[in-house]
This record gives sequence, structure tokens and C-alpha cells, in this order.
Amino acid sequence: MSRIPAKLQRWFRQNRQALLWVVISFSCLLAAWQIASMASGGRLQIPPPLEVFQAFFTAFVKPIGQNTILEHAAISLGRVLSGFAVATVVGVVLGIAMGVSDAVYAIANPIFEFVRPIPPIAWIPLSILWFGLGSANKVFIIFIGSFTYITINSYEGARNVDPQLIGAAQMLGASRLRIFTKIIFPSAVPYIFAGLQIALGVSWAADVAAEIIYSQSGVGWIITMGMNNGNYTQIMVGIIAIGVIGYLLSTVMRAVEGRLCRWNRQAK
Amino acid sequence: MKRKKKYLWLSVLSVCAALGVWELVTDILQLMPSYMLPSPAAVVEAFIYKLTGGVNPDGATLWQHISTSLKIALGGYTAGVVIGVPLGIAMAWYKKVDLFVKPLFDLLRPVPPLAWIPLLILWFGIGYSAKVAVIFLSAMIACVVNSYAGIKQTRQVHIWVAQTFGASDLEILFRVAIPTAWPMIFTGLKTSLGSAWMALVAAELLASTSGLGYMIQMARQMGRADIIIVGMFVIGVIGSLMSGILDLLGKKFVHRGGSK
Amino acid sequence: MEPASQVILQCEHLSRSFRRPDGSMYQVLGDVSFSVHENEFLVLFGPGQCGKTTLLKLLAGLDRPDGGTVKMNGQPVAAPAPSRGVVYQTTALFPWMTVMGNVSFGPLAQGLSKEESRRRAQYFIDLVGLHGFENHYPNQLSGGMQQRVGIARAYCSNPQVLLMDEPFGHLDAQTRYMMEEELVRIWQEEKRTVIFVTNNIEEALYLADRLILLTDCPAVIRREYPIRLARPRDYVDPEFLHLRQEISRQMDPAQ
Repeated sequence: MSRIPAKLQRWFRQNRQALLWVVISFSCLLAAWQIASMASGGRLQIPPPLEVFQAFFTAFVKPIGQNTILEHAAISLGRVLSGFAVATVVGVVLGIAMGVSDAVYAIANPIFEFVRPIPPIAWIPLSILWFGLGSANKVFIIFIGSFTYITINSYEGARNVDPQLIGAAQMLGASRLRIFTKIIFPSAVPYIFAGLQIALGVSWAADVAAEIIYSQSGVGWIITMGMNNGNYTQIMVGIIAIGVIGYLLSTVMRAVEGRLCRWNRQAK
Repeated sequence: MKRKKKYLWLSVLSVCAALGVWELVTDILQLMPSYMLPSPAAVVEAFIYKLTGGVNPDGATLWQHISTSLKIALGGYTAGVVIGVPLGIAMAWYKKVDLFVKPLFDLLRPVPPLAWIPLLILWFGIGYSAKVAVIFLSAMIACVVNSYAGIKQTRQVHIWVAQTFGASDLEILFRVAIPTAWPMIFTGLKTSLGSAWMALVAAELLASTSGLGYMIQMARQMGRADIIIVGMFVIGVIGSLMSGILDLLGKKFVHRGGSK
Repeated sequence: MEPASQVILQCEHLSRSFRRPDGSMYQVLGDVSFSVHENEFLVLFGPGQCGKTTLLKLLAGLDRPDGGTVKMNGQPVAAPAPSRGVVYQTTALFPWMTVMGNVSFGPLAQGLSKEESRRRAQYFIDLVGLHGFENHYPNQLSGGMQQRVGIARAYCSNPQVLLMDEPFGHLDAQTRYMMEEELVRIWQEEKRTVIFVTNNIEEALYLADRLILLTDCPAVIRREYPIRLARPRDYVDPEFLHLRQEISRQMDPAQ
């Protein structure tokens, strides 16, 4: 019990300077925001910070459109996670298969290289034609966006296995399957996670873009509705929600990676 | 991704098979209506039509769309680089700048730049400036992150060497830290080009009156999947071309000594 | 054999401690005092990883002592200066600069003209035997050649004192012998005061005019040996072996 406050105390002592500067820079930001909002007018409106925060918290109980902000967030997250999950499965399997087998590589790579340079957002119109205006088209965009990163990193991971390790395992008489499960896959895991980390960020950006461009719910929709109604405060609320979710996603991902790839962490 | 050429025939076969399946489900079996997935021949036809100056269904030729898009993308990108790279370097080199700017930057970073598009459109209208602003934001973030990380890689012993030779702080920054950071800064230039191009497409999909994003958005409203596919293809090709040019420049200007 | 010459560098009661991550302190250097004479080749020799590099950094002015002072020509040392050149453990060459760029860095930083800097750099590049490699990048050179560049670079800013921190520690045995020979040749051609840190007894005896034996953690001076063997020295000379045995015995912590 008594150790935790001591730890916290030390943390505060060590980071006092940084914390002080966080306070300073945030105060400057709020002040600048307040001043800008008072000076703004006409089309270039900036709602005052207090109003935005108030609206943000009100949105937890009072719905924007059909849903409260938490429901919008849940809808968006549901889309991201389903697209991301499918992309993870497909990307890891395809990437590792391409890394391990020359034949799979020869078959998949030309098509993959053709699709890769197209930004996921450019798929939105086609996706709407194919999957309609609902959630399915967003899931597809998210899948496209994250799939490329996951595949490339899984491929790189499978290719960059230390050949000495494989040699050692072969010398010890390990079967091909054993070499795959005990050596190739584990060494690819850090690469895969690096890919997942980027892919999750891209997924979130892709979902937000898809929702902004066309949707009836989700945090992106909050922003678009705000734009259509000229409601600046609502736009800011949406941006805050998007930022918070983006932050949570990357934090959770890092924590998962930290747990699963503990052996890979380099001593610094 | 270079591998041996032993299976070249498989690659050729795979491309042929993909085209074959595409042809099969469209022209031959008619499983997909042409407004959802046109046949390969129809796409090629639409491509040639747009390339040779066709203005339907969106009112401008392919070249006009490309030039609009490139102008906006390069404008925003240049601004993002010019501000982002020095900002990242300053944050990494000067403790005070780091302490002040980092919290603000960390606040900004989790928001995908695309989320600002509606607000920027309200502020600046659907013309040039809103799009340039969002591209600027996308490009700047990647530039700052990479330049910052690059400068932080400077080895302490190199700083010591420079100090023992009597180099000033600014000299150390320019002759030791920035050369160390160059490869990372360059990665940042490449990453930010990708984000800038993506932001452009998003901005044009949402609100514009010309450009490649506008072209595919109009095509969707008209149910012209052939034009959409042409547009996606052109967007992809231009993206690869730009990053290829940047790679070439990189090979020329990034020092040979650092990479082994 | 060395005539009593002028004292150039003087340390008095130097000590240095560091804080461990858990907050406790550990001392790496305890009360070290010695003087260095002009054009002397002084070797700081000691076992283990502790204290020697710290001591050298204090002499260079890259670190400040907790107690005691370093004086050069009577003036206290407060910051790194071109008058004390350093050759580092791992090659600290700038990988993005050619050999010429690395060696001429010092004179350029001190404000010499481009031509003058290049001319001086060329002289020292030739001296260390790298003529013809001016436009090579460090990663195109072998380990031994890289350390030659390091030596030329340190020489080129015309320091009064050269501080060398186990410069040959990462080389293979053969190259190491060769570099020791080379260093003596260079030093005899361009006399400077050298303070050389090593944990290799053979290297220490081969190079030193005077040898200071340091203990491990915290480092303090155990003994000093004037080495009066004629140069060039021979590793299997009976006198050499005798000294080697004696110093090794002194190193034994059981003593």
C-alpha cells in the first residue's frame, strides 16, 4: 500500500519540469483558442473552448441525431474492429505464405503490388456502389486500408528470420512444421505487430473519412452533420471524440504489443 | 520485394487468371451488372476516352483533373515539409521548444488529419485553401515525427567529438545532428507524401468541383464504375510515380556513408 | 631517460559518482591525483570496466568531477577544448563524411580556411598511412584503418594533449599489434603528450613512458611504474616479460 504513493511521488518529482510545461502549453492553447473565438466572426467562426467542452459532455446524455456520443463511438469502433479483424487474419496468412513460399509470392505479388499504391479512401465510391451506404462499405474500406500494411509487415517478418536459427533447428532435426511454428512465426511476430500498429491508425483514419464522406451514424457523421448545419461546436465535439478514440486505440495496441513481444524489447 | 525469377510463369498466369475471372463474371456470365463492375474492356475503353480528352460525365478531361489535384497536393505538401521538418528538428534539439510544443503536438496527433476537412471547408470554403490546409496538416505531422526521431538518434560520442574540436551548438546541429537525421527525415518526406495524397483524395471526394477525387465521386453518382476504376488506377499510378521520384532524389542526396 | 620536463596537465583529488536508476549512488572514481609531463606517453592501466573512461572524460572536459580539479597549463578545465584531442573506444567517425571530411572537421570548426584545413588534414592522413583513401567513407575501411582516421582527426586540430580511450580495444590481435607499432611511429614523428587508457597489459607496456596502475571500482591509483625500456620494444624481451609479471601480480585483488 505504502509503496504506490512513494512511486507516484518519485514520478512526480522526476517529471516535475515536463508537467509544468504541459500546464503552460495547454494554458497557452486555451487562451489562444478563447481569444481567437472572441475575435472570430462571419464564416470563420471558432466556438469558445468552454462551449465545446460543455457540448462534448452533454452529448454523453443528450443524443446528437439518433444516438448519444458513446453510441456513435461504439458504432464507429464496431466498424473499425470488424474490418481490422478480417484484415489481420487475411493479411497475416497471406503475408507469411508469401514470405515462406516462392510460388504463393509469385501468384499474389503482382496483384498485391497493383492494389497497394491506391489509397484506401479512393475505394470509397466503388465500395458504396458495391456494398451500399451502410456499415458494410466502411468495413470494406477499413479492410483495404489495413490489409496492405499487415500483409507487407508479415511478409517482411517471415523473410527476415535469422537463417542461422533455421540452420540450427534443421541440424537438431526439427521438421518443417516445427521450424515454422517455433522459429519463423515467433520471429515474425514483432514485425506483424509493427504492421498492426500502423494498420490500426490507418483503419481509424479510413473509417473517419468514410463516415465523413457518407454515413448516417458514427463519429464522422457528427462532423458532417455539423458542417451541413453550420454548427461549429458540433464539429469540434466530433473532432475531440475522434482524437480520444484514436488515442485509446493506439495506447491499447501498444500495451498488447508490449505484453506479447516482451522478449523483443531491446535493453536501452 | 525482389525474389528469384523461377516462378515468373506463375506471376504471368496469376495476372491472366485475375483478368480472366474479371472478364468471366462481367461480359461472359454477367454475374455483376456493369454499373457495379464493368468488364476489363469497358474500363480500358473509358480510360482511353478520358485520356484522349473526353469530358463526360464530369465535365473535364483527365489531364485537367490531374493538374488540379497535383497543384493542390504539391502546394500543401511543400508547406507541410517547409514547416514540419524545421519544427521537428527544433523540437528535438532545443529542450524548451520540445517541452512547449510536444504536449500540443501529442494532442493533435491522434486526430486523423482528414477529420479536419469539414471544419476547414466551413472556414475557407470548398476552394483551394481548405484542401491545401488539410494536406498541409497531413504532411506536416509525418515530417515532424520523423525529423524529431532522426535528430534524437544523434550519437552522444559524435557530439563529444564535435565539442572537443570547439564546434558551437549550431555547428553541431548542422554538421552532426542533421546529417545523422537525414535518412529519417527522408523517410518522413516519403511518408508525408503518401498521407498528403490520401488527404487530397478525401478532400476532393467531400467537396470540390474538379480533381481526381471529384471525378470518381461524380462517376459514383452517375453509376459509372468504369470511370471510378480509371480514376483509382490513375490515383495509384501518380502516387507511385511521386514516391518513385522521391526515391531517386533520395538516392542522389542521402549520403552513402550512413547505410551499410 | 625522459628529462624532467614541464607539467602540462594536472589532476588533484578527482572523484566521481553516479546515481543508479534506483536512486543509490556508486563511486567509480575515488581521489585520483597525478601530473602529466610534456610529450610524455602516459598509460592509465587497470582491470575491469570501471573508472578509466570516466577519468578520461574528466580530463577532456566532457564531464565534471564531483570533487577535485583538472588543470591544464595551470588553468582549470571547465569544458572540452581543441587543445585536448580525443580518440574514442569505438570509432566515433562521422559516417556521412569522407576520410578527408572527418579529418578536416577540427580545423574547420576552429575557423581555419578550407584550403588550410585540407592541407593540414592531408598531412595527417599521409602521416597515418592513409594516402589515397581521402575520399573513402568510414564504412568502406577496415577497423584498423578507421582508427587511423580517428588518430589523424585527433592530431589535426593540433592538440597539446591526446586522450586515447582504448582505441584498439575492438581490433583483432594482429591488427592491434600493428596499430600499436604505428602509434609509436606516429608519436615519435609528431611528439605530443598522450594519455592512453587500456586494460591490456601488453599494450600498456609496449606504449608507456610511464604506467599508472588503477584499481577496479572505485578506481584509485595503486602504483606508478616508469617504463624505461628502449623503443622499439619487443614483447618477448626478458625485461618486458619481467615487468609484465610484476604488474600482473600487483593487479591480483587478493594481494
